Amino acid sequence: MTAAPAQAARTRPAPAARRPGLAAARLLRLELRHNAMLWLLPVVLALFWLTYYRKIMALPPLWNPRASSLHTGTVAVFTAPVAGAAAWMGTREARRRVSDLAGVTAVPRWARQLATWAATTAWAIVGYLACLAAVYGVTARQAHWGGPLWWPAAVPAATLAAVAALGFAAGSLLPSRFTAPVIAIAAFFVVALSTQLIVGSHSYWQVSPIVAGPWDIGPDAGVATFYPYVPDLAMAQLMFLTGITVAALGLLAVAAGPGGWRRLSRPAAAVAVAGLVAAGTAAALAGTGTMDRSGMIAIPALHDAASDRPLRFTPVCSTTGVSRSAIPVCLNPAYASYLPATVAALQPVLSQLAGLPGAPARVSQAAAAYHQQAGNGVAIGLAGPHLAGTPPVYRLLLPVQLVGPAPAAQESAALLRISDGSALVASVTGAGPGATPAQDAVATAIMLAARAQPAPPPANAPPAGRAPGAGRSTARRGETISGSGAGPIGVSAVPALAPGSPGYAAAQRFAAQPATARHAWLMRHLPALRAGQITVAQLP
Amino acid sequence: MTAGWIHAKPQAGPSGYGPQPAAEPRRPQPPGELSGPQPAAPRSGSRPGRSWRPAGRLGWLFIRGRRLTATVAVIAGSAAGLRIALAAGHWDTYGALQLPLVFEAVAAAAIAVSTASPFGEPERVTGRWLPWLRLAAALALTGLAAGLLAAAGAGAPLAGGALDVLRNLAGLTGLGLLGAAVLGGGLAWTGPVAYLLAGLYALYTQWHPPALHTPWLWPARPPHDLGGALCAGLVFLAGLAVATVYGARDPAGE
Repeated sequence: MTAAPAQAARTRPAPAARRPGLAAARLLRLELRHNAMLWLLPVVLALFWLTYYRKIMALPPLWNPRASSLHTGTVAVFTAPVAGAAAWMGTREARRRVSDLAGVTAVPRWARQLATWAATTAWAIVGYLACLAAVYGVTARQAHWGGPLWWPAAVPAATLAAVAALGFAAGSLLPSRFTAPVIAIAAFFVVALSTQLIVGSHSYWQVSPIVAGPWDIGPDAGVATFYPYVPDLAMAQLMFLTGITVAALGLLAVAAGPGGWRRLSRPAAAVAVAGLVAAGTAAALAGTGTMDRSGMIAIPALHDAASDRPLRFTPVCSTTGVSRSAIPVCLNPAYASYLPATVAALQPVLSQLAGLPGAPARVSQAAAAYHQQAGNGVAIGLAGPHLAGTPPVYRLLLPVQLVGPAPAAQESAALLRISDGSALVASVTGAGPGATPAQDAVATAIMLAARAQPAPPPANAPPAGRAPGAGRSTARRGETISGSGAGPIGVSAVPALAPGSPGYAAAQRFAAQPATARHAWLMRHLPALRAGQITVAQLP
Repeated sequence: MTAGWIHAKPQAGPSGYGPQPAAEPRRPQPPGELSGPQPAAPRSGSRPGRSWRPAGRLGWLFIRGRRLTATVAVIAGSAAGLRIALAAGHWDTYGALQLPLVFEAVAAAAIAVSTASPFGEPERVTGRWLPWLRLAAALALTGLAAGLLAAAGAGAPLAGGALDVLRNLAGLTGLGLLGAAVLGGGLAWTGPVAYLLAGLYALYTQWHPPALHTPWLWPARPPHDLGGALCAGLVFLAGLAVATVYGARDPAGE
């Protein structure tokens, strides 16, 4: 009588080993196959191509502006669809009236919800990675120097996770046919239009994930080429987004209620509160940020002093090949593609000045310096004088380093010829405010001979203010922040002489001289001219 | 038991998806009685003047079934949001241009989502008045949304004015109605939301060339532009026609 139960016990199949990891993987696979985000991906990718991809590819082949634009663009394009898809997935159990049915399964409700959120986030991130790969892949082929920036690439991924968590929580807690559209558009509204509240670099709203840098200047080609990329703001944003994600998922666990893990309620509430605290702390940290001289947001509590040191690089110079110039022109290797155009723009003036006493031994690109002004104003320019060192080196800023849309090649060359060409001539002849008429006449003659005749100053100087949508900045470009030097870009440093005046006639006369004669006269008389001892009548 | 969009028996549930009293609860069926609809026995002494009651009841059930009262509430909320944003915000030019389109998209998405039927296929064979109810509901909601949004911008710096509101809303609603026929009422919001992003980008390109000039991106066209108005109107009429004839494509089970 006792043998039968014993035998039954021996022949009973061993209980299947619990493999929770495998079950979770299966659940995730099911959710991945039945996720609305998968079907929205083609729409999102098409929107990204229509709106931002072409714009990003039109930017200079520099890592920072493209990474910043990718950051802003993917957050703007993905936010609404991801929030809507997540909310739609969150309403699924109520929509299909299976809440009660699913409530009696072995998997806790929160675990099921977590799998759905993870699948939605995974598809969104797959779409984002496709965009990232396209932009970074093309940029890697085009860029001459530097490498991918991963901090700004991480923020959109964290944004998608946070937006999906918020959308899913809203859909799960407030299931209605209106939840998905309202959440999608509300998420876009909050993310995209909250930037209207940013004032200066001390704003808490900079923690908004769509902000890729100082909102006043946007993606700027002068940033992260002479100084390292400063990841302080990205760190704060990641902290904020992680906090939001954790808080939303914790709220879901708390709300799981009787159908979920009751034991989880208190820890989940604690996790949700911790997430909110982290998000609040991150926003507070963002409010302590300031725009540093390299044009990036520095947050003292997160700042690494090593990022204040300039990057080391070997400049590319116009000493050989087709770009050879009378005076070497050297650029940061990141801007190597601009060397031929820069040399072509300056060569006429440089050939006039080469060998003259006081002429620069080299023209070298300098770092742009950024200065926060009142409100949303930002001044970008050259720190210090144009001409410095022994032998003298002329320091220039390329137009692309300044705020605003990157100028086209022809426009950039014209700006260089007028601004830096005239500044080079003025630095050699001494023309400008306080100069003698002879100095101004000789400078004008050189500009005429170089076919870089200075244009009269425009009535409304240089590009002031910003295009709508880029903020409410009154950023000024080309302004010299400290020291002496050329004024705003596009304005000649050589005073415009009135046609018909004695000075202009002398300039025309001097410009008509053969180049060798003009050069020989300058070699002999330039010191006296700079000393103010030459009159207009003495010019040949 | 939770209720849903396709719940034959009206029952309120916590989800907010279900409780549409679409039909009278069926009385217990005596043995031997034929199932199915039975011809109503003529009531003695019925008056011709009271024939509006079935139509009124049908309309009311349609309003309940499509959650049109909630749709009106969402539309009113979007208009109120626009008013508050215009009154409280210090928008730069770009924000001021984007703002109305965002709220118009909310209203259009709500109208599109309201086409979702809680009954699906069975409803299509129940009567000949359904297309007219769909048409009337879409027209009434679009008109109401246009009026409320325009009123919300009255006296405030509403970019484009009431004409812009009407054109953009009509076009967005048309996209939503087309989406309802293709994707189902529940996912009909994807059309207006996707177009919102494209429209905002088209506005953006007005300051950041190359500008997009195609009239199919009508939000970026001036309010009096004929091409933009024709495109938006065409999309609206197409959406209205499809939604009227076919209704939303509501898969079984949702």
